[in-house]
Amino acid sequence: MIGIDGHVHPEVETVNPYRPHRARITSIVDLTDNEKLFELRLIDEESRAEFSHSAGQFVEVSIFGVGEAPISISSAPSKQGFIELCVRRAGDVTGALHDMRCGDIIGIRGPFGRGFPFEQMKGSDVLLVAGGLGIAPLKSLINHIHDERHAFGNVTILYGSRTPSEILFRRQFEMWQHRDDFDMVLTVDQADETWTGEVGLVTKLFDRIDVDPSNTYGAICGPPVMYKYVIAEMRKKSIDADRIYVSFERRMKCGVGKCGHCGVGHQYACVDGPVFNYWEAMNLQEAI
Amino acid sequence: MFFRMIDKDRLPDLVRGLAAEFEVVGPVAKGDSFVYAELEGPGDLRLDFDSTLLPPKEWFMPPRERIMRFATADNEVVDCEVDAPPRVLFGVHPCDVNGLQLMDNVFLGDRPDPYYKARRENTLIVGVNCQPSDTCFCNAWGTDETHWGFDIFLSDLGPDYFVSVRSVKGAELIDRHVESREITHQDTRRFQEVTARFKASFPEPLDTSQLPLLLDAKFDSPVWDELGERCLSCGACSMVCPTCYCFDVKDVLDPDHAGGERVRVWDSCMFRDFAAVAHGANFRESRSSRVKYRYYHKQWGYLSKFERVLCVGCGRCTRACLAGINPPEVIAALQGAMSREEVAAE
Repeated sequence: MIGIDGHVHPEVETVNPYRPHRARITSIVDLTDNEKLFELRLIDEESRAEFSHSAGQFVEVSIFGVGEAPISISSAPSKQGFIELCVRRAGDVTGALHDMRCGDIIGIRGPFGRGFPFEQMKGSDVLLVAGGLGIAPLKSLINHIHDERHAFGNVTILYGSRTPSEILFRRQFEMWQHRDDFDMVLTVDQADETWTGEVGLVTKLFDRIDVDPSNTYGAICGPPVMYKYVIAEMRKKSIDADRIYVSFERRMKCGVGKCGHCGVGHQYACVDGPVFNYWEAMNLQEAI
Repeated sequence: MFFRMIDKDRLPDLVRGLAAEFEVVGPVAKGDSFVYAELEGPGDLRLDFDSTLLPPKEWFMPPRERIMRFATADNEVVDCEVDAPPRVLFGVHPCDVNGLQLMDNVFLGDRPDPYYKARRENTLIVGVNCQPSDTCFCNAWGTDETHWGFDIFLSDLGPDYFVSVRSVKGAELIDRHVESREITHQDTRRFQEVTARFKASFPEPLDTSQLPLLLDAKFDSPVWDELGERCLSCGACSMVCPTCYCFDVKDVLDPDHAGGERVRVWDSCMFRDFAAVAHGANFRESRSSRVKYRYYHKQWGYLSKFERVLCVGCGRCTRACLAGINPPEVIAALQGAMSREEVAAE
């Protein structure tokens, strides 16, 4: 299109941040009664080649006729060509996605936002704490660390779930638990007769870990209520505020800092976050 | 920038000339108020308007617009066409010209919005000076004047207009459509006198000192509780605001469900579910938290990114609010407000 000043308009058809790219569902794994792991492959080769993300970023899942929902990417950036999303059935879009089958086509926009500072974390110990579905973005980070394991010191993963049956990625966790180079501890709020592990909130696990405060990065993701308590535990271990990273869930609608829905303090979670360090988060009103 | 003088009785020539090439939109009377509407002739144009019910943003981001058509089978985009006819917005006050520039920062900056951009590039802006009404407070932000963001700007000197010409297209339009002459030193003097009278007609500007800092320091002030009690969450303040840009996106299916359209509609952070997420958490459930967020974002959030406040002092929200909430009073209340600790100590 030619504008009135004679210059050419941006091609609305191609350079459009709101236009989803089609992706095929290549695998669906039932994780729990409410959560499934979807593996997606972008159909257009060019989009597929261009797609690269960092751990902690998210995409907008777009199902025409239903709408869009922001979902964090669970797969590591190194898993090229495929995107993994761990999705809870929570609303219209995630409900529609849960009803889909392998081979069905959905839309994807993104990746959006600022993820974890992977390069900056290299050379340090990493302490990752997840509650429930909060493991989804952290799994991307853990897998990425796994791919470059030699570049990191001790890696500790603390994961809390309400009940044993709600534990996500159980097989993957068992694998990490059996490796020498990952310390992984699971805990549940309420045990059942099958459970032989820890019982209690994830903060309880801090009693049994050693942290080198001068050389540790923290990464936290979980339900909103969890942050305050986990951050307090990390601060007790003397980890600096700007080395504790948190990922926030907000209502990211457009993903490109325009629609206003994901405002947190003076920032937008979709472009300035969703990952913030604790110093930044302390300066965001009502963030924690 | 260069300047021309146009006699007032020649102005209809310009409007008629523009109408041959463009859709000409300007302030027209509607009941006791004014609205921007397509002119049927120069006689409709009311450059003596005080303000319009809706700001010019509706011509760049309509209240409801289709952003794409889709086919549900295989989740396919059918088209993303944008309707952006060549248009002139004739008669925009300095506050609203500034308002558009603030919208530009969001929609034309990082990852530009193609719909807004196409309309912005296809629309000429003819600015016009104004007289402050009793709800105006543009002098608090310096948005009572503008030096950018228009093609030509008309300053009313009585019998004639002192015309600032900003763009090539603006210069061409004047050359082609209206008789004009060069300015003289005398014209510049008259322009300065009119400007001085305009500036002097404002009451004292609002005290906006250290506003971003105060918003943080008094974040817990009971002022917000009181405002939350009064606010009706109707969102009228956002709809009439020349700088409120928030939107929602909805899918509307055709009756056969084979296709449909994805539409964008104006939204407001005053609405209850604005910050709610899927499984029930709502980050701004209370009305006071929403009123506070609107001010916080306008006076600090936006400022932290673009170094300007997201308000141009047009006074539309003051006139629209059924609960009588308005920026000058909120800001004055915040300046004088006690923190929660101070209240508790009394």
